[in-house]
Amino acid sequence: MDEAEFFAADGLSKHFGGIIAVDGLSISLSRGELVGLIGPNGSGKTTTINMVAGALRPDEGTIRLRGVTMTGSPAHVFARGGVARTFQVPRLFRRMTVLENLIVPALSNPAARRAEAERRAGEVLSFLRLEHLTRSLARALSGGQQKLLELGRALMLRPSLLLLDEPFAGVHPQLLAQIMEHIGSLNAGGHTIIVVDHNIDAIRSLVRRTVVMAQGRKIADGPSEDVLRDPAVIRAYTGARDAH
Amino acid sequence: MTRSHAVQAVLLIAALALPAWAGPYWVHVGAIAWYYALLASSWALLAGYAGQFSFAHVAFAALGGYASALLSLHFGIPPGIGVVAGIVLAMVAGALIGWLVLRLTGPYLALFTLALSEIFRLMLVAEQQLTRGSLGLQVPGWFGGESDRPYYYFGLSLLVAALLLMAGLLRTRVGLFLRAIRDDEGAARAAGVNTTLYKILVFVVTSGLAGLAGTYYGPFVGILTPSMVILPEMGLVIAMAVIGGIESLPGAAVGAVIVYGLSELTREYGQWRFVLLGLALILVQRFAQNGIFAVLERPLLRPPAVEAERGRG
Ligand SMILES: Nc1ncnc2c1ncn2[C@@H]1O[C@H](COP(=O)(O)OP(=O)(O)O)[C@@H](O)[C@H]1O
Ligand SMILES: [Mg+2]
Repeated sequence: MDEAEFFAADGLSKHFGGIIAVDGLSISLSRGELVGLIGPNGSGKTTTINMVAGALRPDEGTIRLRGVTMTGSPAHVFARGGVARTFQVPRLFRRMTVLENLIVPALSNPAARRAEAERRAGEVLSFLRLEHLTRSLARALSGGQQKLLELGRALMLRPSLLLLDEPFAGVHPQLLAQIMEHIGSLNAGGHTIIVVDHNIDAIRSLVRRTVVMAQGRKIADGPSEDVLRDPAVIRAYTGARDAH
Repeated sequence: MTRSHAVQAVLLIAALALPAWAGPYWVHVGAIAWYYALLASSWALLAGYAGQFSFAHVAFAALGGYASALLSLHFGIPPGIGVVAGIVLAMVAGALIGWLVLRLTGPYLALFTLALSEIFRLMLVAEQQLTRGSLGLQVPGWFGGESDRPYYYFGLSLLVAALLLMAGLLRTRVGLFLRAIRDDEGAARAAGVNTTLYKILVFVVTSGLAGLAGTYYGPFVGILTPSMVILPEMGLVIAMAVIGGIESLPGAAVGAVIVYGLSELTREYGQWRFVLLGLALILVQRFAQNGIFAVLERPLLRPPAVEAERGRG
């Protein structure tokens, strides 16, 4: 297998009625890469994540993970195939405990055993420094803790591709640093990750490669420093700001 | 043994002993209460655990009841086989409806299942040749003699068996997945849960149990009528589950027994009983959101932090 072919989305498009949310987007990743996906609000980042995670079926285009075509499969097949994601606004199992939130993805593998799932959940909780909340209800967690738990739930799938939709949005600065650190160490541990943010300043220290979207299209893709200087990118951002 | 188990054991002993000291009237009331308890507890699994707020539950009871009775009446099939056939038919219909409502949630699911239920009721009324319409279908009894005791104990056994079956199912990962689907279906899918499979499964299981309730009800009462499927009957089952505790299957069963027992005690008040029922619903929602069974079994010394552990079994 060609390393550059670890993950490849090719010509993805998605319409909602008259709106073209994503328009012919292609991204490929090699194993272990950490990529930033940025763009103004409404540029199609979340729709892209939804398609790559199998939650939305693309109107056009294909998605391949490790050479296997995933396009058209239901979301749980993507998840079982190693694509894990978080949501822009955390979507936890609110009336279940923190521990239960974590063992659901582990047990979705029919071969997994509960004791083993709980042991792994304990590891993930200590990695995220949430052990003291093991038996709390998810809905009792603070906003930041919910973001961490959602990251933990994604990790419980042992993902080969991790999709994080705005992990820093609405997060307390102190926790922001902690989440950055987690993402960095997950990547150092070999995880392939796409981090979405609407603002490059937050993630430029984290990612070496940045993909920029505007109005559903990819307008730049490359080393973060180059992308940041790209006039098309600057125009997309200032244009978006002027429009407000 | 937990406090919850102790409460359940005491209730079971009380139920077993009731015919020894209560008169035949209360034995009769009890035997009907088991029908409602089967419906309320299985509906609690469907709605309270899995979040599928279906209004078609009583229709499955009628389907099971009518199917087993008609098979016996028209084809001379022995009652035992008729019962199994009624349950299987309810399960198949449950799978079909579970599949039909896969993409529906909340009020849309409720309205759609209500409409299906109403269509089924009208079919029962219209198919006079087969069902005798609103006159009702006479159903031969299972046990000879005058006493309702055999039905009382048979119905109680069915209820206990159903509760054990559902508790067993909830102890597996299926229980976890159903609650995950209830809380956020999209997130459950993202966590690798085949939500289609488990949503259909919970409809199959709970519809089968509702069908079982119907196959028991017909021979006991002696007549099946389309009025089993009217909206107030469904409302009664929902009220029973909510009052008892929609997230506890034994709680919903206890709620059914209490509500049905009280409605018998207050029979002389006629329609005012429903006002009382409404008041009881409001009070429970205000003061005991997990139902009165949770209040009964809440240990005095348990710290509030363990609230998280509730909502199981
Ligand atoms: N489910 C949906 N139905 C209709 N329009 C949608 C839906 N999801 C996204 N959109 C539209 O698609 C465009 C891209 O949205 P989104 O992918 O959420 O952008 P971003 O995450 O970059 O802010 C926006 O115009 C948005 O309004
Ligand atoms: Mg977004």
